[in-house]
Amino acid sequence: MRHLISAGFGITGALALAGIAINRGEPVNSMWLVIASSCIYIFAYRVYASWIAAKVMALDDRRATPAERLRNGHDFEPTNKWIVFGHHFAAIAGPGPLVGPTLAAQFGYLPGTLWIIIGAVLGGCVQDFVILFCSIRRDGKSLGQMAREEIGRVGGFTALVTVLLIMIILLAVVALVVVNALKGSPWGTFTIAATMPIAVFMGLYLRYLRPGKVLEISVIGFLLVLGSIFAGEWVANSPDWAPWFTLSGVTLAICVIVYGFAASALPVWLLLAPRDYLSTFVKLGVVILLGVGILFVQPQLQMPALTRFIDGTGPVFAGDVFPFCFITIACGAISGFHSLISSGTTPKMIARESHALPVGYGSMLLESFVAIMAIVSACVLDPGVYFAVNSPAGVVGATAEAAVTTISGWGFPVTADQMAALAKSVGEETLFYRTGGAPSLALGMAHIFSKGGGGERLLAFWYHFAIMFEALFILTVIDAGTRVGRFMLQDLLGHFYKPLGRTSWWPGVLGSSAAIVLSWGYFLYQGVRDPLGGINSLWPLFGIANQLLAIIALCVGTTVLIKMHGKKYLWITILPMLWLGTVTFTSALMKIFSPHPRIGFLSAAEILEKLPVQTEATRTLIFNNYLDAFVCGLFLVLVTTILVDSARQWVGILNGSRDARSTETPFVQTALTPEEI
Amino acid sequence: MKALRQFGRTILAILRELSDENAYSRHLRIHACANTPEEYRRFQTEHFKAKYQRAKCC
Repeated sequence: MRHLISAGFGITGALALAGIAINRGEPVNSMWLVIASSCIYIFAYRVYASWIAAKVMALDDRRATPAERLRNGHDFEPTNKWIVFGHHFAAIAGPGPLVGPTLAAQFGYLPGTLWIIIGAVLGGCVQDFVILFCSIRRDGKSLGQMAREEIGRVGGFTALVTVLLIMIILLAVVALVVVNALKGSPWGTFTIAATMPIAVFMGLYLRYLRPGKVLEISVIGFLLVLGSIFAGEWVANSPDWAPWFTLSGVTLAICVIVYGFAASALPVWLLLAPRDYLSTFVKLGVVILLGVGILFVQPQLQMPALTRFIDGTGPVFAGDVFPFCFITIACGAISGFHSLISSGTTPKMIARESHALPVGYGSMLLESFVAIMAIVSACVLDPGVYFAVNSPAGVVGATAEAAVTTISGWGFPVTADQMAALAKSVGEETLFYRTGGAPSLALGMAHIFSKGGGGERLLAFWYHFAIMFEALFILTVIDAGTRVGRFMLQDLLGHFYKPLGRTSWWPGVLGSSAAIVLSWGYFLYQGVRDPLGGINSLWPLFGIANQLLAIIALCVGTTVLIKMHGKKYLWITILPMLWLGTVTFTSALMKIFSPHPRIGFLSAAEILEKLPVQTEATRTLIFNNYLDAFVCGLFLVLVTTILVDSARQWVGILNGSRDARSTETPFVQTALTPEEI
Repeated sequence: MKALRQFGRTILAILRELSDENAYSRHLRIHACANTPEEYRRFQTEHFKAKYQRAKCC
């Protein structure tokens, strides 16, 4: 019976997916995407993931997990599986699965949808599950520690450098998304600015008034944030206040950089932690609301299945559907960053080995579903509007008339009046050139929410609610990320000069905070000044880096599987790894060497060098292109290093010349009772 | 109805975990102390030191 039900889900999912793929020329309802993805997810979970759990990993509930053996009441604590599931999902769900699919919607809804579903089922979920399993069997060790032990010192060092580089590029690119969403928007800027005093109030409340009452103050904080959205409308309409909050991209970038530095150096309890609580709850609430909204409204997709931009000439970012779709959508399909979470807090909370299946594989399926909702939100917009919002002035022209002429010429009709009316209905001056994905995602979400309740009257509120939601948790990624980057740098510098490694030595704290902030701040500033919108160069760099980390995680997983079963099951991790290796190599090489200046950094620099008049701005652009090419090249070197080093290990283990002993901790019988879980 | 109540309890438990309220309860239990502003500050210092040394996902 179980097999029959699973087969039913599989067949339904396959038929729905085939329907989406074959359909051409008429609008598709978003429910097809929802049905196709959910049926395939259920099938994959019940068949593929359960098979891996039973046959490959041989999960054993009699075996005590690190949470039980090393229980200390702090990080090691056996926890109910649904609580761990919620905790793990909240930790892996960031801006990536929302922004990536929105940007990839320029290819049409089909490539992104296929990659999100197939990539998650065969790649992302497997990676998260395998790394979680490896960490559980190794006392909750981190990816870096496991890479060092399973692959060698080179693997461990590569993992460390990669994480630091990803952090810098990630922080720059998400900061750019916020800047592009808020520039020239007094309503949005005021709402986000208001979240800072609200967070400080929450911190003080928790510290001095009602210690430990986090849920209580989070509700108060959320109500205050809602109030700030209403107040934002008043600010935007006030001739006295609006100019104070109408900021250019450069000014906003400087504000975000200063904020990142302050949040990194200030006590955590005052700003970072309360914002983190608030953003986590808002994030989960909005994801659920969006899911309910899509099910309730069942919107039609306006974007075609495939657009002409699969040939690489897209205005949102340049590059062919292969390989750029696969690095643009990272977190919704496979994200190396998840392996840090799967080998971080989560393995220390797992009470039974069998819980790794819903937590590791199941959470990633849910994250993938979030990405499907993001692609639906982007594709319910009129394609002309989508391209008008997401295309930079450098591609479509610097005036509204030029932009609509260019976009209509591509076969996506849109008018300046239509854009002006839409901007007015959401309380904005203009919606042109809002690159980065956040505003178009907010428009799509507002469209769905307003149809669910409030109608056109509440469109402006829902738009700014969605912008607030995106900016709130992106800023939390920025402040927490800067802090983590600071710790990593201090850890590294401490080897050369001991006091620099101490997190209590203020010159070290301020110096390392400044170094990290200036590193991502430089890329952010470069993105804001980029005539092609910044996202064109930064998002692919981030995607390449993220997939590189996934390759490292899959290398660790492959080594463990080879040690466990020889070559019998290595295809489970090596196939997604080979695919990612191909994607990462191809995209990195194209980003460096492509003769098209919108894709290749070197050809862009070359064209700028040939300009008859070399201004300061031109020289900066040339330098930035060389810098981006260098960073891309560095990623290539890192991929090659880790792959060669891993391959040596695998060949050695398989032919018996290398140690194949397992690094698993020995079996200990569990003493946990069902009541304790 | 029972299933709905169980679902509600699980959701609340997840929210309490995400808000570190469960971690604070464990802290109070392990150290056998009462909820005071001083104790909460001590908990925050210990807990946040570990929590914010880990990367947040993208």
